[in-house]
Amino acid sequence: MERAGSRLRILAFVVAFMFVALSTRLWFLQVLAGPQHERDARDNSLRTVTTDALRGDILDRDGRRLVHNRQSLEVRINRDELGDEAEATLAHLSEILGVSAQELGEELDSKLYYSYQPVPVAEFVPEEVYFKVREEPERFQGVEVVQQNVRTYPQGPLGAHLVGWVGQINAEEIRERRFEGYGPSDLVGKAGLEATYERWLRGTPGEERFLVNSDGEVLREFDPKPAQPGHDLRLSLDLDIQRIAEEELLTGIENARTVFDESSGTNLVANAGAVVVLDPRTGGIVAMASWPSFRPSWFVRGLTEKQRSLLFESEQAPMLNRATQITYAPGSTFKPFVALAAVKEKIASFGSYYECPAEYVHPGDESGTVFENWSGLSGGTLSIAGGLKVSCDSQYYAWGSRFYNRDLTTGQEELPRRVREWGFGRETEVDLPAEAVGTVPDHEYVAEHAEVYPDGWIPGIDILLAIGSGEMKATPLQVAQAYAALASGRLCRPHLVARIEAGNGDVAKRIGGRCRPVDYSAGELDYIRDALRGVTTTGGTAGSVFARCPLDVSGKTGTAERPPFQDTSWFAGMVPSEDPEYVVVATVEQGGFGAETAAPIVRNIMSRIYRTPCEGPDLGEEED
Amino acid sequence: MDLVAGRVYADERRPIRHLDGLLLLVTAILIVLGFFLLYSATNQTLRQDRLDPFLRVNKQVLTAAFGVILILAMATFDYRFLKVYAGFVYAGVVVALLLVRIPFLGSTAAGAQRWFEIGGFQVTPSEFAKIGLIIMLAASLSELKHGFPSAQDMIRMCGVALVPLVLVFIQPDIGTSIVMVAIAAGMFLVAGVRGRHLAALVVICLVLIAAAFQLGVVKDYQLDRLRAFLDRQNTPADVRYNLDQAEIAVGSGGLLGQGYLHGRQTTLDYVPEQHTDFIFTVAGEEFGFLGSTFVLMLYAVLLWRAIRIAFLSKDPFGTFLASGVAIMFAIQMFVNIGMVIGIMPITGIPLPFLSYGGSSMLASCLGVGILLNVHMRRFK
Repeated sequence: MERAGSRLRILAFVVAFMFVALSTRLWFLQVLAGPQHERDARDNSLRTVTTDALRGDILDRDGRRLVHNRQSLEVRINRDELGDEAEATLAHLSEILGVSAQELGEELDSKLYYSYQPVPVAEFVPEEVYFKVREEPERFQGVEVVQQNVRTYPQGPLGAHLVGWVGQINAEEIRERRFEGYGPSDLVGKAGLEATYERWLRGTPGEERFLVNSDGEVLREFDPKPAQPGHDLRLSLDLDIQRIAEEELLTGIENARTVFDESSGTNLVANAGAVVVLDPRTGGIVAMASWPSFRPSWFVRGLTEKQRSLLFESEQAPMLNRATQITYAPGSTFKPFVALAAVKEKIASFGSYYECPAEYVHPGDESGTVFENWSGLSGGTLSIAGGLKVSCDSQYYAWGSRFYNRDLTTGQEELPRRVREWGFGRETEVDLPAEAVGTVPDHEYVAEHAEVYPDGWIPGIDILLAIGSGEMKATPLQVAQAYAALASGRLCRPHLVARIEAGNGDVAKRIGGRCRPVDYSAGELDYIRDALRGVTTTGGTAGSVFARCPLDVSGKTGTAERPPFQDTSWFAGMVPSEDPEYVVVATVEQGGFGAETAAPIVRNIMSRIYRTPCEGPDLGEEED
Repeated sequence: MDLVAGRVYADERRPIRHLDGLLLLVTAILIVLGFFLLYSATNQTLRQDRLDPFLRVNKQVLTAAFGVILILAMATFDYRFLKVYAGFVYAGVVVALLLVRIPFLGSTAAGAQRWFEIGGFQVTPSEFAKIGLIIMLAASLSELKHGFPSAQDMIRMCGVALVPLVLVFIQPDIGTSIVMVAIAAGMFLVAGVRGRHLAALVVICLVLIAAAFQLGVVKDYQLDRLRAFLDRQNTPADVRYNLDQAEIAVGSGGLLGQGYLHGRQTTLDYVPEQHTDFIFTVAGEEFGFLGSTFVLMLYAVLLWRAIRIAFLSKDPFGTFLASGVAIMFAIQMFVNIGMVIGIMPITGIPLPFLSYGGSSMLASCLGVGILLNVHMRRFK
C-alpha cells in the first residue's frame, strides 16, 4: 500500500486546493465586496410607493375658483387577487366599461407596475361602474374602483393662458434640477401659473415603504409618511374683469375683421390680440386676455390629435400668451416716455411749442430719407400735450434727431437709456413662464444685428425709436407696466398671484409690492397724464371713441407698422385720470389703427368695470 | 500473564472500541447545522403558505434519524462482506436506475425522471448509485493481479462505471453524473492508473462531452447555465438570476453575517432552490465569512478523517472504499459551494448533510458508515 499512500497524498493535495479556492473566493465575496452586496440585498427588498399630494387650488382675488381638483373614478386591477377567474373577470369588466377584454389584458401586462401595485385600466368611468363593481364583488374579484384627483376648471376656458395646464413629466424635465425628487409618472405644471408655482402647488408627496419578498408580496409596511396637500394661489385677478376682458377682446377682433384695409387691399385680418388690466398701485394683474385661446380641460384626459395639432402646430399658436410672450412695436403708445425723456434731457420742455410738419428729414442727411407724419398732414405748432393729443410724429422725429446728435457727442445713449427706465427691453419678472423681453435698440443691439443695420448707428434708429417703431419691441404687459408707472409714479413688478395660502388659510407668502419710484416728478407725470386725457376728448385721436363716455380716461393710441403684415393696433389707457385705479392695454395683431380697433376694446372694458354706459362706435376712426 | 495480556490485546482491538469519534462528531454537527440552515431557508415561505414552519425541518430530522440508523447498521458488519456482495449491490442499483425510467413507477419533475415516490418520501436511486459505484469499483480494484490496473482492467472497469453513469446522465442528472465521473477517475488514480490510460480516458471524456453538445443531449437550460458561468456580463438577467441572487446573499453576509434568521435574501426568499442546492447561501448570509469558513472547516475535518482512514485501512478494498467516499464528499462540496459563490457553473449537486433531500442525506450517511466501518476494522 506504499504507492497507494503516495497517491492518496495527491488526493489530499487536490482536496486542500479545493479549500484554498473556496475560502479565497469567499474572502473576496464577503469581506472585500461585502458592502456592495449588502446594498444590493437592501435594494432587492425595499419598495417605496409615493402617494400624490392634492394639488393646490387657484383662486381669484375674491376666492372664486379658477382651478380646482375633481375626483375621477379609476378602475384598477390587483393582479395578485385576480385568481383563476381572471378571464371571466376581464369579460365582466369589458361589458360594463365597453372596452374589449383583450385591451384590458394588454393594460394588465404593463411592466410599469410592480406585481403588488394595482394596475389602472380605465379612467373617468361613470359612477354606475363603481356601483356595479360594488354590488357584485364575486364577479369582479381583484377589481377596484378608486377615486383619483384630476384638475378641473370651473370657469371653463377663462384665463387659460394664466392658469396653464398640467401634464406628465417628460424625459428631459425629469433630469432638470428643479424637478429633483419627482417620479416618472408625476404630473407637473407645464405652462402658466401651474408651471411658475409648481413647487407650491404640488405639495409634498407621501411615502409608503414596504418590505417585499421575491414574489413582490408585501411582508411589512413601515410607518407611512402622509402626503401634504399643495398650497393655494390667491390671485390679484378679478374673474369678472377677466371675463369682460376676454369677451371684449374677442368682440373687438370680430369687429375689426369687418373693416376693409386700404393698404393691404383686404379686410383686417385681426388674427390675434391681447388685453392687460393692471392695478397701477400694486402691479397686480387684474385681468389678462390672449386670443386665440384653448381649454385647459383638454389636457386632463389627454389631447386628441386634432387638439394637439391646433395647439402646437397651427399658425394661430393658441398656446402663446400674447400679453407676455409676443413682442410688438409699441407705436405711438411709446411717445409719452420719449416726451418725458426729451424733457429730462432738456431737448424739449413742457412750456415750449414744436413744429409738426408733414415731413421730416434729419438735418444734414442727404440720403433722401424722408420721415412722414402718420396723417400725411402738417399739425402746425404744438406743445408736448398738443402733440400727444393728435399723435404728431414729426415732433418726435425732430427729438429723435436731437437725441442722435447728443449721443454722437456724449456716447451716452440717452434715449434708449431713458426709455429703459420704464421697464422696456427687460423682463417684467411677471410670475408667468417664458416671458418675452423685447428690444430697445441701442449701440450694442445695433452692433449685434448688422443684418438689420448695415450702416451701423444711424440717425434713423433714434428717429424711429422716438415713435416706438423700427426695432423697438415690447409685450403688451411691458406697455401696461410702463403706463402703470406713469399712473402711480412707481414701476412695479407685475404679478398674478397676490399671496400663497396653506390649506387652513394661513398666508405662506405674499407676492407683489416690489416697486421702485421712477425718476420723474409728480408734476411731470401729472402733465403727461393730463395730456393723455386730451387724447380721449374732442380732437384727440381717440376722441370720437370716448365721445359719449362719461369716464375720465387718459390714454394713448398706437398704430405700429409691421410689414408685410397689417398694422398692429394699440391702446393704452388709465382710468380715472386722477389717481388711476386701472391701466388697460389692448393690442390687436393686424388690427389697423389704434383708435379703430384697440381703443373701443379698452373703452368697453372700462365701461363694464365701472358699470358706466359708454356709448360710442364699435369701431373708432382711422386715427393713430 | 501472557494470556491475560493477549486477551487484553484482543479486547483493545474490538471494533467498537475504535469508532472514529471525531468523524462522528463532525457528521453530527453538520447534520444539526443543516436543520438550522434549513429552518432559516424555509420557515418564511411555509408561514406564507399557512403551513407549519417546521414542516421541512421535521421531515429532514426524520430522514436524519433514519440516516443515523444507517450509519450504525453500516458499521456493525465487517465491511469485507460488501466485497462479497458488491455484485448484488451494483446490480440492485442498475435495476433501480432502470425502474425509475418506467413512467408509472418513477416520478417526473421539470422533464427529469429521477425518483420513486414511497410513502411520501422521494427515493432518488442516482444518489445511492454513487455508493453502489464506489463499492463495485473498490471490489474490482482490490482484486487486480498486478497491483495496478492494466489496459484490460481499465476497459472492464470503465464499462462497470459507464452503465450507471449513462443511466443517470439520460435522466438527465448532469450533477450526479459529474460526481460519478469524479469518483471513478479519483479511484482509478488511487489505484495507480497508468499515465497513458488516464490520458486516453481524458480524451474519450472530451470526445463524449463534445458529442453530447453536438447531438443535443445537453438541454438548453444547461447550456444557458454554462454560458452564464463563462460569460457573465452578456448573460440575460433571468438566466443569471440564480447566480446573482446567490452571490448577493453570500456577499451581503460580510465578515460576521447578518445574524441567524436576519438575512434579507434568505428571509425574503430571493434565492431560488435555497433549501436544496443553494443552502450554503444561508450560512454565507447569516453567519458571514467566519460562519462560511467554519462550515468549510467541518468539511475539511470530514475529508481529513476520510483520507486518513484510506491510509490506515488494513486492505486495498478498505482504502478504495474510503477514498471513493472521500472523493464523493470532496467533489460534491467543491462543486456545490463553488457554484453558489460563482466559481463553478450551476449544476444540481446537493451539499452533503446540509441540502434538504432524503436520498442525499441517506447516501451521505452510508458513506460515513462505510468510513467508520473501515476505521473500526483497520487492524489485521
